[in-house]
Amino acid sequence: MQTENAIETINLIKKFKSTVPNGNGFLRRKTITVNAVDGINLTVKKGELFGLLGPNGAGKTTLVKMLCTLLPPDGGTALINGFDIVKQQMQVKRSLGTLFSVGERGFFWRLNGYRNLEFFAAIYNVPRQKRNERILEVLKLVGLENNTYMTFQKYSGGMKRKLALARTLLPDPPIIMLDEPTTGLDAISSRTIRDFVQTTVRETGKTVLYTTHYIEEAAQICTKIGILKQGKIVAYDSPEALKAKIKKDEQIELVVEGIEQTQIERMRMLPGVIEVTEKNDQPLMAGQRGIHIELQSVDQLPLIFDFLFEQKIKLVNFKREEPTLEDAFIELTRKT
Amino acid sequence: MAVLNELEKIWYFMKRDIVSFSTYKTNIFVLLLTAVFGALSFAFVGQSSINQSVTNAYDTNYTTYLIIGLAFNTYLGQALTLVQKTINPWALEEVLVSPTGLATFIIGSSIWGFIWSTAVVAIYLLLGVYAFGIILTINVVGTLIVLALGIGTFIGFSMIGSGILILTKQGDPITALITIATSLFGNVLFPPSVLPPLLQIIAYVTPPYYFFTCIRHVLLGWTIQMILPDLLILTLMCAIIVPVGYVVYSVCLKTARKNGTLSWF
Repeated sequence: MQTENAIETINLIKKFKSTVPNGNGFLRRKTITVNAVDGINLTVKKGELFGLLGPNGAGKTTLVKMLCTLLPPDGGTALINGFDIVKQQMQVKRSLGTLFSVGERGFFWRLNGYRNLEFFAAIYNVPRQKRNERILEVLKLVGLENNTYMTFQKYSGGMKRKLALARTLLPDPPIIMLDEPTTGLDAISSRTIRDFVQTTVRETGKTVLYTTHYIEEAAQICTKIGILKQGKIVAYDSPEALKAKIKKDEQIELVVEGIEQTQIERMRMLPGVIEVTEKNDQPLMAGQRGIHIELQSVDQLPLIFDFLFEQKIKLVNFKREEPTLEDAFIELTRKT
Repeated sequence: MAVLNELEKIWYFMKRDIVSFSTYKTNIFVLLLTAVFGALSFAFVGQSSINQSVTNAYDTNYTTYLIIGLAFNTYLGQALTLVQKTINPWALEEVLVSPTGLATFIIGSSIWGFIWSTAVVAIYLLLGVYAFGIILTINVVGTLIVLALGIGTFIGFSMIGSGILILTKQGDPITALITIATSLFGNVLFPPSVLPPLLQIIAYVTPPYYFFTCIRHVLLGWTIQMILPDLLILTLMCAIIVPVGYVVYSVCLKTARKNGTLSWF
């Protein structure tokens, strides 16, 4: 089926019931319904590296499990590569490679890396003639070519996650879903996986749905980001556009030399200045002071420079603070 | 082509299990030792009353009765835990997202276990024949039919137990109940005729009784016609328990998927 969208969800809903204590008494409990995925409409175009960002419990894993047919929806549906996740499950499974957040769980610990992948190659219908070649290829892609015949139980955490990534790539699916692939890994292993996703996977033109709660990770590698909160998409755009959505006062940081306390007080009186605070969180030379200034607008910036010039205050360093994706994330998840 | 593809998958399930199994060398040794000592220890148990009951029912001695009972009890034990082995939630999730059907997964995951159980049964019987002089006149067709019915019935029980386990996560009353019922009333270690009359009634409504009665008879040369009443009851039980087991397992699996509790242990 030809479609320009790799993933499309249409008012997708998943509800979970759970019991919670109801007043005093050990046996007094009531059933509550939680909307884990609450009417999500999402489109991921083919070839996109889409980041799904959200705090713990936002519904990221539930959404991934629904998309890979593991969880049936309670409402709405989704199309993977044009196939319906409810009515065309086998086609969906053939279009997808999924790495779960603890992706190493399904492996057989007494078998080596090659034998594990050989088993999964069979159940993922990798053609018999290409199987050996493909296994060695994906092991090399993830950097495990020197550990092919090491038993899985001897692999480090990073190696186990890489093997899980290799398993995801094994059937060469057009769409890959990576559910928090770097969670629990050290900085080097995390970076290796990020670099791999950004370069190798992208070069092959695959669509990637990448869930994470690490904001900078999403900012670094994703072309589009959806922010998920309590089962709802509260924002959806490119990282740059999301940052631009944050209405933030102009923030500047100065390092100046020879400024008096009275001059700082006078700086507060300048038009458009909201706040001036001292900021000495970095090592400064003798006579230098760090100043943090909040302005109503960038238009007031020349007034600050004029003041410094008039007062003969030496400007050592100047930095204008840009809103980060973290600012956008916090603001968007707080206000909705 | 599709069948060949599925057969090849089954081969890889088995290959996976052989490689995994072969790494547990101590376990293999213990299993072999258990089989040998199991046969040796029970071979001397014969009581006069039991002997008489066994002779009346099967026209053979208690040693023969006991060795056949123990040998095929391992088969039923394998069938009983079969489906449970496949419901490791992590492995189940990985398979459910792959383009491989659940039936292939269950068959593939169990085939090596049955091959190993066959080897254990063979050890029991060979020891019985060569060390204790038991005489077997095996009705091969009858043995295969009775085995298929017995294994089928116990897989049915296994599916019911596993289905419950998928939901409860811990504690499977069905498997525990069947294991106890087999030991007490199953005609494994002694004929139910030595039990008090009330307990005998329980024995005659449990599938293990009919399985062990039939398997002993066919191994001792009885024809299918001669065991037909017991065989028909076993067939009827199998025909009821297997579909019930499948429905219970499917409903429980569906419920766990709907509730999102599949990966919970």
